Amino acid sequence: MDKHMYLSLMPEALIMSQLSPEEFGAYYSVGPELKTQGQAVFFEIDPSFRDPFFPIDRSLSLCIPHSSGKPKRSVYCAVYRVVEHIPVSALGKLYLVTKDGRTLGIDRAPSVPEDAGGLHLYHEIAPLHPLVVSSLGPKAFHSFFMGDSKKNIDVPALCWVECKLGELATSPEFGDVRDLPYENIDHLRSCLIQLKTKNVMTKIVDRLNPTSFAYRTIQNGIFYGSGKELAMFPLPSIEELKKDHYQWWRSANM
Amino acid sequence: MNTDTWLYAGLIAGALSILTAVFSYIRVLRYDSGSDRARQIAGWIRDGASTYLKLLYKTLIVVAIILGVILAIVFSGVEKQNHGLLTAGAFAFGALCSALAGWLGMKVAVEANVRTAVACNKGVASGFEVAFKAGSVMGLAMVGVAVFGMSLLFLLWHDVEIILGFSFGASSLALLAKAGGGIYTKTADIAADLVGKVEVGIPEDDPRNPAVIADNVGDNVGDVAGMGADIFDSYVAAAVASMLLGASFYASKMIGFQYVLLPLALCILGILSTFIGLPFVKVGKDGKPGRALNFSTVFSCVIFAILATAFFGVVNFFAKGDVSVGLNWGALIATVSGLLIGVIIGFTTDYFTNDEHSPVRNVAEISGSGTGLTIITGFSYGLISIAPAMAGIVAATLTSYFTAAAFGLPGIYGIGVAAVGMLSLTGIVVSNDAYGPIVDNAKGIAEMSGMPHEVVDCADTLDSAGNTAKAITKGFSISAAALTVLAMFAAYTESISAYSGTPLILNMQDPLVLSGVLLGCIIPALFSALLMLAVTKNAFTMIGEIRRQFKAEPGILAGTVLPDYTTCVAIASSGALRALAFPAALAVICPLLVGFILGPGALGGFLGGAIFTGVVFALLMSNAGGLWDNAKKYVEAGNFGGSGSEAHKAAVVGDTVGDPFKDTAGPSLNTLITVMSLVASLFAPLIARFHLF
Repeated sequence: MDKHMYLSLMPEALIMSQLSPEEFGAYYSVGPELKTQGQAVFFEIDPSFRDPFFPIDRSLSLCIPHSSGKPKRSVYCAVYRVVEHIPVSALGKLYLVTKDGRTLGIDRAPSVPEDAGGLHLYHEIAPLHPLVVSSLGPKAFHSFFMGDSKKNIDVPALCWVECKLGELATSPEFGDVRDLPYENIDHLRSCLIQLKTKNVMTKIVDRLNPTSFAYRTIQNGIFYGSGKELAMFPLPSIEELKKDHYQWWRSANM
Repeated sequence: MNTDTWLYAGLIAGALSILTAVFSYIRVLRYDSGSDRARQIAGWIRDGASTYLKLLYKTLIVVAIILGVILAIVFSGVEKQNHGLLTAGAFAFGALCSALAGWLGMKVAVEANVRTAVACNKGVASGFEVAFKAGSVMGLAMVGVAVFGMSLLFLLWHDVEIILGFSFGASSLALLAKAGGGIYTKTADIAADLVGKVEVGIPEDDPRNPAVIADNVGDNVGDVAGMGADIFDSYVAAAVASMLLGASFYASKMIGFQYVLLPLALCILGILSTFIGLPFVKVGKDGKPGRALNFSTVFSCVIFAILATAFFGVVNFFAKGDVSVGLNWGALIATVSGLLIGVIIGFTTDYFTNDEHSPVRNVAEISGSGTGLTIITGFSYGLISIAPAMAGIVAATLTSYFTAAAFGLPGIYGIGVAAVGMLSLTGIVVSNDAYGPIVDNAKGIAEMSGMPHEVVDCADTLDSAGNTAKAITKGFSISAAALTVLAMFAAYTESISAYSGTPLILNMQDPLVLSGVLLGCIIPALFSALLMLAVTKNAFTMIGEIRRQFKAEPGILAGTVLPDYTTCVAIASSGALRALAFPAALAVICPLLVGFILGPGALGGFLGGAIFTGVVFALLMSNAGGLWDNAKKYVEAGNFGGSGSEAHKAAVVGDTVGDPFKDTAGPSLNTLITVMSLVASLFAPLIARFHLF
């Protein structure tokens, strides 16, 4: 049986498993006998990746089938401060798993697109998960926080998703909310307005933001920054999702 | 023109309608039934529906035998020869006819669902064609069986009181079918949603949900067999009440014999207008099925008005001024006023339940501020929605009464024919109504069998139109039932007066009448509560079963193992029928207890209290429930935060509360008040003579 290495982002953990990504996604989000349940986001990690911070080989040696012949579902290699030790180069496919266990694998974009104008909403996924608004596009946002140790705040690594703002991106005062499902939308508006009226580039909207987020709110994709490196994993268009990944899209669109 | 000719015309029209229904059924079967997977899913739904129908009809046979024997014994004491046996026979025949119409409707619905899904591959118009053709089977079968049955019984015995037994049989079945179907459908719907969607996070119509087949079966048993039986019973009751009034006034020489049969003649014209209207119901180039459904109602309404006017003209032409065979134009105006107001009331319901209007949008918007406000606002709109419908019923009552009186007919007879006029569109209304669950199932089958998303989108478009048609049908059927029971109420007082020899006057200062009114007010509230508690109890059991299956077999959620659908179907079926016994007994026993103990005056008050509160409850619950449902759908369509938002969470709670309101208790109240009025009218000859006070 193959052995896989997965970087879970909800919560941060490095896990070895004999399950394929789809099987692992279903197992990880639903759990055996429906005991635990929730959204999951994880990367498959290059099997050759090694870092002295992680006892990878020891964990892999424990990742063997059960006596019944069933595959080992999970061996936790590390928890806490995992993301900061995984470089962009070690990342394989990103998997987005719905609450009911449907798994979608997405590839890394060849390059990160240039920043678009307007205001942005970032849901940080790992290591922490505050909700942040910013006047900076993803590239600028990455540069602002990472890879410059002389700055007041230098984040070693960060994974985040840019969420849709709809009309609020250009008109926070009067834009129509439409299908934006965010809680306390008035507070979100006021934070966005402050980006325009005050001399700040980022603002925390919710420091106690829940870990999970609605996949349908993804603006363009998920970003992973580590040091000066930045990778983007673009979500396919709704048309592509409906056509090629309909079951996943139905569950994700709940 | 010999009035027996009308009866033969009734037999022919009824038979033609049934034959057309059978012919349409065969045509529906010829459509492509799709892939093996689609047929397998449709087969599960078909088997689930058959399981429920078998249980329902077994229960019905027991009820029919018990009630039939009671009727045969009790009415053997009436002076007329063989009256007991004939009433019991007519009762059994009425129940059989209602069951036959419901069975045929269900049979075609569970065959048409998969064919509609497959037809959606070719677009909205093709899907609509299959679904509506299948819906028309139910509509045509129902009016055909009703008119054939009434004509046959009258032709054989020339006694309206025998047809009253027929109506009672139809209503008894309707009560079981509607209330049972309502409990079944909401048990499955709520349980499937609460575990599937809320707990586990799987979408609607997902084959991994153990309750998904029960949910789809529920659409059929609740909205095809249940709603069909409900309208069938109002349809027959309206005709019978008017015929009873006609017979009563004919006996006192106030009107000619032709007025006894006029309601039947109007039913025949209704069948003809349905025949003419059906071929024109097609989705236009705009691709909007809702317009086609609304057009069918309005177009058939116009055709009926033209046919009725022509009929009166022809009869009067041959009558050459002889009032003993001619027809009074006042009866035509009363009929058409009932028809028009019925349609208007149907469309006012649409205002409160359609997301194009402010009530639904306001509830959707306010849901962003929490569940409490969703419930309060939806409930308030439900209360407001009573006003226009009641105003419509008042308008129909007054217009028909005073028009008839102004033309020299008994005013109360005008109310009777107004109810018949309102229900003359039953064929087309039931066709529209049965279309709803067929397309709802079609969408589910398209989802579950993995058809392309374009097909699912097409089925979704058809389904949205079905929801609006369903809301209009409910408003229409409640109003028609209200007018029918008013006529039945009048028939009861006439019957009591005739058998007791003294006119029955209901005086609110009489403590017996007042007590009757207060007791009558209790019944709709108690009946509604019992049905909704049955839903929550059964849903609780089913939720336990769904959770058990998910936990016992992880492969279900992984999609590698099929769930056990039959257990959920069995829970819904047996639970629904077990819970029916007490509410159904209330409808039959309470009027008899009040009548035989407190007397005819108290029973009159009892009926009044039950009718007025019953109509208020029915309108409130049906409209509030429909409003909450569509407010949730409006949010899900991407408004006020869309799916997953706070507004959505609150709207889902509103919808869950509204589900048993709109599909269990609300529409069942029609049947309750009709059954109670029929029991009172049927037993009036005995109550007039035997009562304690």
